[in-house]
Amino acid sequence: MKKTHNINIGNSIVHIEEDAYEMLTNYLNEVKNHFSKSADDFEIVTDIENRIAEMFAEILAAQQKQVINIEDVQSVIKQMGSVRDFETLEDTEGEPEVSSHYNSIRKLYRDTDQAMVAGVCSGLGHYLDIQTKWIRLFTFLSIFIFGAGLLVYIIFWIMVPKATTRIEKMEMRGEETNLRGFANTHLHPLAEQSRGFIAGFIQGIGEFVQGTGKVVFKFIVGGIIAFASFFLLALIVVLAVFLGLWSSDVQNYFPISMVNEEYLFPMSIAAFIILFIPLLGLILFSIRVGFNGRPVSKVLSYGLLLAWIAGVFTGIFYVARVSTEFKEGAEFAQTTPLNSFPVYSLNINKARYFTKEDSLNYRIDATRYKGRKIMSSLDDDFNMPRSISFRMEKSLDGKVSLNTAFKSRGKTFEVALKNAQNIHYDFLQEGANLNFNPILHIPKMANWRGQEVVLVLNIPVGTEVRISKEFNRYLNGYDYWNCEHDEGSQYTSWIMTETGVKCKFEKEKNDN
Amino acid sequence: MIAENTQTQMRKGILEYCVLLIISRGEIYASDIIAELKQAKLLVVEGTLYPLLTRLKNNGLLSYNWVESTSGPPRKYYILTDTGRGILKQLDTTWEELSYAINTSRKEADNESKKPTNQTES
Repeated sequence: MKKTHNINIGNSIVHIEEDAYEMLTNYLNEVKNHFSKSADDFEIVTDIENRIAEMFAEILAAQQKQVINIEDVQSVIKQMGSVRDFETLEDTEGEPEVSSHYNSIRKLYRDTDQAMVAGVCSGLGHYLDIQTKWIRLFTFLSIFIFGAGLLVYIIFWIMVPKATTRIEKMEMRGEETNLRGFANTHLHPLAEQSRGFIAGFIQGIGEFVQGTGKVVFKFIVGGIIAFASFFLLALIVVLAVFLGLWSSDVQNYFPISMVNEEYLFPMSIAAFIILFIPLLGLILFSIRVGFNGRPVSKVLSYGLLLAWIAGVFTGIFYVARVSTEFKEGAEFAQTTPLNSFPVYSLNINKARYFTKEDSLNYRIDATRYKGRKIMSSLDDDFNMPRSISFRMEKSLDGKVSLNTAFKSRGKTFEVALKNAQNIHYDFLQEGANLNFNPILHIPKMANWRGQEVVLVLNIPVGTEVRISKEFNRYLNGYDYWNCEHDEGSQYTSWIMTETGVKCKFEKEKNDN
Repeated sequence: MIAENTQTQMRKGILEYCVLLIISRGEIYASDIIAELKQAKLLVVEGTLYPLLTRLKNNGLLSYNWVESTSGPPRKYYILTDTGRGILKQLDTTWEELSYAINTSRKEADNESKKPTNQTES
């Protein structure tokens, strides 16, 4: 019993056995390829197909049977002639026939006949014409480069189809899939190729020179695959970090500090899926374009698409949830009176002063509390966007004071207010020196909710303020550089007038 | 390679001439042309004829009629056009010239190749 196909050739329906069908398809493809160079290829191929159909009809009528078998196809092809026979009668001027010499275009398949695991290495061996053991060795070694080899192996496993039919096996080995090759494999089916490494290497170089263009293309595709695989790997590592497989405090750093701790897990999974699937798709597509014309299986591609959509929706859902945490805003202000001096210096001080409350929070011995000062580390800078603004205003009552407004957002007004109250900001007056901290602090493990501090320094008219260079770098909103009196100076002088703060140097110039 | 190339060129021209000659006798089906060419040992496989016929037709030397067939799809029956006839006449003269040239050249070559062999034998 044999499986048969129904084919429509030359507008007539023919029943044909599977192996015969394979052979005929192969032959017709070859013919089409051969004539595709000429302008009238369609007409020629149609003529040939019609003639073949006619021959089939004759055979069926003569032998009184219903199905075309492989012998019939062979006899028809013999009569019609192979592409090689056509070539002898056509223009061979100009380019010498490279193709007749080494015609085989290999295709990448998994060779499950000689597989150690899934036949990826032996398949690649056939494809690259390198002995499989070298590929295996290379793959094995590359597993130790952060498991890259393993990942690539798995991707190839998923992506590359295994060679099942005879034609595929022949394509894999680079045997000619025309009739000569077919006849050869008929005689000794899939005879083991035993070529030495050096011979293979030399032939490989020959092929390389022949198809440099193709090779370059494949290199590019290979590069894309390698890059994408690397990113994929990195993504997996990042996911592991986010899921807390290694102890880390990512959730204290800015963009992530927005996300509530309980959302972090689903959000990282969603983000992972959203990024992972396109990358995987890119790799699969590159493999398809670069190495093998086979599409990804429908189940796999639709599955990936669905997973991606699900990831996107989950992501949107959680982003929406997080954004509701920013719905309401709250603000409260406190005013600190300052001792008055005719001249103030504004400086930056990164040290962190602990209140008694803080000391209790951090379990520092409260009984011996005497105004602690902790030198804070600079990498706190990345905790959140710089969210402190500073300005100077004219004091109406002639007193000097610092008005500190704490702002935050939250799901409800109460939550927002609580968030605002949790802001810790360090300011210290040391005589005429006003020391400001360039950053604000929120409790550890608290989320970023747009916390802000607005500092307003109220000073009476005529008070001079010296803004240090460093202060300017962190907090100043004034036009520092235009007010620089002499270049080496570490500060610029400003003075409060009836109409607001003016550059002292500019003002004196105007007054004169 | 060079010999092959020359052979191909020669055969190509002659095949074309023969095809035109065969078709000039009247409407004919491709496989009948092939049968004749095979008999004349000029052609081994059918596939080579179709591109040739298509090319001749596109150059205006041939035209064809569709004829219904009892076994299979309708067939193309080829016929010579007036242009084809004109060209065939030109080819006839060319062929006579060629065969004259070849006969003469070969005679000369034969004579010359005989002389030295005779000398070595004697």
